[in-house]
Amino acid sequence: MPPVDYDVVIIGAGPAGSTTARFAATAGLKVLLVDKRQELGAPIQCSGAISRHALEQVGITPDEEFIHEAIYGFAIYDETGNRAVHDYRSLKPEEYGSEAGKRPLGYVVDRRRFDRYLMTQAERAGAEVWLKTEGLGYTPQADGLCTVRLLRYNQEITLRTRVVVGADGLQSQVGRWAGLQTHIKITELAGCLQFIVDGVETEGLLEIVTGHEWAPGGYAWVFPKGHGYAEIGLGVIATMTDQPARWHLDKFMTQSFFRDRFANSRILEVQGGGVPLAAPLRTQFADNLILVGDAARHVNPITGGGLHTAVAGGKIAADFLSGHLADQLPLQAGALEAYQRLWLSELGDKMWKLYGIKTDIFHNMNIPERNRQLYLTMADYFSPTSEFKKI
Amino acid sequence: MSKQQPVLFHIGWNACINCGACVAICPQEAGFVSPFDTIAVDRPCDIACLLCEQICPVDTITHERVGIPVASNGVNGQ
Ligand SMILES: Cc1cc2nc3c(=O)[nH]c(=O)nc-3n(C[C@H](O)[C@H](O)[C@H](O)COP(=O)(O)OP(=O)(O)OC[C@H]3O[C@@H](n4cnc5c(N)ncnc54)[C@H](O)[C@@H]3O)c2cc1C
Ligand code: SF4
Repeated sequence: MPPVDYDVVIIGAGPAGSTTARFAATAGLKVLLVDKRQELGAPIQCSGAISRHALEQVGITPDEEFIHEAIYGFAIYDETGNRAVHDYRSLKPEEYGSEAGKRPLGYVVDRRRFDRYLMTQAERAGAEVWLKTEGLGYTPQADGLCTVRLLRYNQEITLRTRVVVGADGLQSQVGRWAGLQTHIKITELAGCLQFIVDGVETEGLLEIVTGHEWAPGGYAWVFPKGHGYAEIGLGVIATMTDQPARWHLDKFMTQSFFRDRFANSRILEVQGGGVPLAAPLRTQFADNLILVGDAARHVNPITGGGLHTAVAGGKIAADFLSGHLADQLPLQAGALEAYQRLWLSELGDKMWKLYGIKTDIFHNMNIPERNRQLYLTMADYFSPTSEFKKI
Repeated sequence: MSKQQPVLFHIGWNACINCGACVAICPQEAGFVSPFDTIAVDRPCDIACLLCEQICPVDTITHERVGIPVASNGVNGQ
């Protein structure tokens, strides 16, 4: 093998990139992780809900450094405010609770601190990390390796590496570098807005509000944020409404069955973003290149959650790369399809199934019937008996 | 791609939350971006599908039609 600067260069130090970097470095690969930001996770574009299981599965210790608040279950509301509650403190009182010896079901994390923590863990495992470094492009070479072009504090740098990992999130350009089809359909990208607020009580539950009236094409949520704060947000599908998410959030806060609960809320932060309620990319690899996390649309199409799938996918990517590179296998001409197959069998097939369920619901043009289906599906999804509990 | 008249996008930066949703929906090739995680505003878009304007959660993208079709990228139907 001709010499390289790094075995793997990872573009984007979100949860997917940092987790890939940590496991790849632990496996002994020479890893460079770059991110264009100066402060990871900022501006926040995420509500931060993740299950304890998802953290533990990839060796992330729930740490005070990044936890806003512990979560013990879910409340799912229909359009009129009736709710189904799955509170694990009463479902499995011997296991879940805030008392000593008991555990939470999950957490709401602060993405600024969470992303920094994951980056630190990658560094401690031996990965090199460069902030203020933007990936500009890559070129596969005839010798089977590739070069990647970076811009670091205005200085252009070209490095030789074996594989580039695109972990550059929703707005991913890395897939486009290789000519992959990455743009999301307008019917499958939820435009989201959320406010961190003071003056709204929560009860240790993730609250999900369904109903076309409040969030056409998506849903609304109320999450506990620690320090007595809450987060109120929603996502909408542009083709199902003439109004932007901001208008719907205003309506939800002032006109829904929660208007009295929200009457004294004061906005502390404004956040937003896009959530792909889409299928995973059909092609997540190219010559010397794989995609992981939001960049590969590894997002749960029912909940819009992408943190679990980002960290789980990061581990899958790193496990794959360490084996593939150790065996000196080819990196071009479709050789990296093996990554996609591994990902599908470990995670992706279930996500395709969820995508099917979600598509069936939103193809129903009868709004009351669709409302009912979405409510029942959500209520079932978060129940202790759900087959998808671990996604 | 349709042969729309190219458009130049404007972003009301005061409302923009730098969320990148407009980039995710954009069918342009790599690089049609601004340094603020939005679609490009310094050169015309020859696809002009306007999906970015639809997706923006704070409704802060507008456009003006411009005359000159750009020939610099392959998506252009010229
Ligand atoms: C409003 C909202 C609420 C959400 N709530 C939840 C939730 O409660 N639970 C949940 O599980 N998921 C949630 N999600 C989804 C979740 O935020 C994403 O799925 C997750 O962030 C994906 O992680 P990632 O590592 O793939 O990408 P990102 O977190 O987007 O990280 C990508 C990184 O790449 C960097 N980058 C991009 N381009 C380049 C480049 N060219 N060069 C260098 N660096 C680059 C960026 O700076 C960024 O740091 C939410 C999303 C939104 C929008
Ligand atoms: S979609 Fe709107 S708010 Fe988000 S980055 Fe683009 S212009 Fe800004």
